[in-house]
Amino acid sequence: MIKLAIYGKGGIGKSTVSCNVSAAMAKKGLRVMQIGCDPKADSTSLLRGGERIPTVLQVTREKGNALALEDVIYDGAFGVKCVEAGGPVPGLGCAGRGIINALETLEKKGAFELCKPDVVIYDVLGDVVCGGFSMPMRKGYADKVFVVTSGEKMSVYAAANICMAIDNFKGRGYASLGGIILNRRGVEDERSAAETLAADFGSSVIADIDRCEEIPAAEKAGKTVAELFAGSRADEQLSCTAQAILDAFGGAL
Amino acid sequence: MKNAARIIPCYSADTSGVCSALYELGGLTVVHDASGCNSTYSTHDEPRWYDMRSNIFISALTEMDAIMGNDEKLIADTVSAAKDRKPAFIALCGSPMPMMTGVDFDAVAAEVEARSGIRTFGLHTNGTRSYIEGASEALAAVVREYAEPCGKVRGRVNVLGLTPLDLPLGADKHIREWLASHGFECGCTLAMGDSLESIKKLPSAEVNLLVSEAGRGAAEYLKKEYGIPCICGVPFGNGFADELAERLRSAANGSKPVALSTAEAGQAEVIVIGEGISAMSLAEALRRDLGLNAGAINTQPSEGAASGDVLSCEEDIEAALLELRPKAVVADPLYRYILPAGTRLIEVPHFAFSGRCFQRAMVNLINTDIKEYFK
Repeated sequence: MIKLAIYGKGGIGKSTVSCNVSAAMAKKGLRVMQIGCDPKADSTSLLRGGERIPTVLQVTREKGNALALEDVIYDGAFGVKCVEAGGPVPGLGCAGRGIINALETLEKKGAFELCKPDVVIYDVLGDVVCGGFSMPMRKGYADKVFVVTSGEKMSVYAAANICMAIDNFKGRGYASLGGIILNRRGVEDERSAAETLAADFGSSVIADIDRCEEIPAAEKAGKTVAELFAGSRADEQLSCTAQAILDAFGGAL
Repeated sequence: MKNAARIIPCYSADTSGVCSALYELGGLTVVHDASGCNSTYSTHDEPRWYDMRSNIFISALTEMDAIMGNDEKLIADTVSAAKDRKPAFIALCGSPMPMMTGVDFDAVAAEVEARSGIRTFGLHTNGTRSYIEGASEALAAVVREYAEPCGKVRGRVNVLGLTPLDLPLGADKHIREWLASHGFECGCTLAMGDSLESIKKLPSAEVNLLVSEAGRGAAEYLKKEYGIPCICGVPFGNGFADELAERLRSAANGSKPVALSTAEAGQAEVIVIGEGISAMSLAEALRRDLGLNAGAINTQPSEGAASGDVLSCEEDIEAALLELRPKAVVADPLYRYILPAGTRLIEVPHFAFSGRCFQRAMVNLINTDIKEYFK
């Protein structure tokens, strides 16, 4: 089993990339589990036809320790197992603590033993703003972090912050940086901005996804590109992204 | 409000369980918590504090350190204290605030170990769970760290889960005497009256005696890694103490371990309330020595626990007693306030429940005639 986390600036396309990469990996015959670590709980919606699923924290609140994994793990496109950690009402509570609680609950209940995934993808909210959002990087969770960025200044800035957090945690045995995923927005010198960022942290740009019509169209329909536009250039690039991520694990699968 | 204790106190928390379990082992126990809370762990919940030295430190976590995620202060202070005290090991555990900010104790422990050169482990307490869970995790951790493969010694028995939170001071001595009187050799008494050296030899025993759920994690580890069978029970009274010795002998000879009788409260005329293994053992002793129809209520639910009726909150215990209307209840004196009218209370103070309040009234019921006490 390999475990990875996808980080990046808010709105940069982490969930879109995560869902499409999950779908592409599942199409290759791998058992994939995607865990949304964002209080908005919309990470897996593209794998579920745009539909939301009950979150771990929501069910924990309702059922307490009686929570069953079947209450929070749902099948998505291509058999991807979908989970949403969930979070508090906006403006209240503590979202970071929520992530910790949800991930600990999944572990305690034996989610991985039940689903036996080959690949676990943690799709994590924006920046590493507190201890809770670094949880997926910790020992025992993701082994590698992939950062999604465009060439836009703010996106690169946020990505650099995330890479710095990974670097700070080096002595703790946390996840290492697996690479940069460039999700193009059509700004000037995008590739070069992403490459500079990667080089600053001794990494590389492992995937390059063009701005295209298929990805937003599939998103609008609540579907993955692999379902709606199989064989398209976007589908091909997302499939290559999935393969590049797998390659970063050095053929562990 | 279901889990709120309105009348009776709540039991000691997981952090106290860690401090109690590791108290005599020569380590440094660091509780990551605000300053001023040391008394909770080391005096209110610790009868040995004034008579026996132990290295228990509180990190004096401040609001700004919590907000800023300043783990460096915890690491540097711990390393400095360790250089000063030279403990055999360092155990780091948490309280509610580090739980909220998500302090990674395993990672902090790795950094402390790298800088101090002293074996360090993180424990995942948060101050909101039962002392049983904290003690069980702490004892399992030291056993994992120190137990070494060694040859079996015929007739050797380890005693696991021994802390003054559940059994009175001197319980280790009484259990040693009882084992010797039945021809056993007492191995390690984890963790009262024993040392790390003895923990290294834990795998040499033929059988483990689990005297409280605090030893559950260690017992499971020793079963899994060294195949040592486990028998649950505290040798209260005479009849049950003899029976327990037979169960140990039989398990040591390779028979399937006999489980502690599920002495559920049901229609019992006498109900013992307390930690599961203690309560069920005392109920068995009352049945055998006094012929009473005795049952037990276990107030400390934990994974893999000996069964029986498990009721952990005041509201449920109060309702169950009202429904069952036993003639007598055997429990800590502070349970008096939730007993139904007409039910007699036989007081057996429980340190994890009432702390030092009734310390002087604590009695030894191990391997002794209990008829007088319960007449």
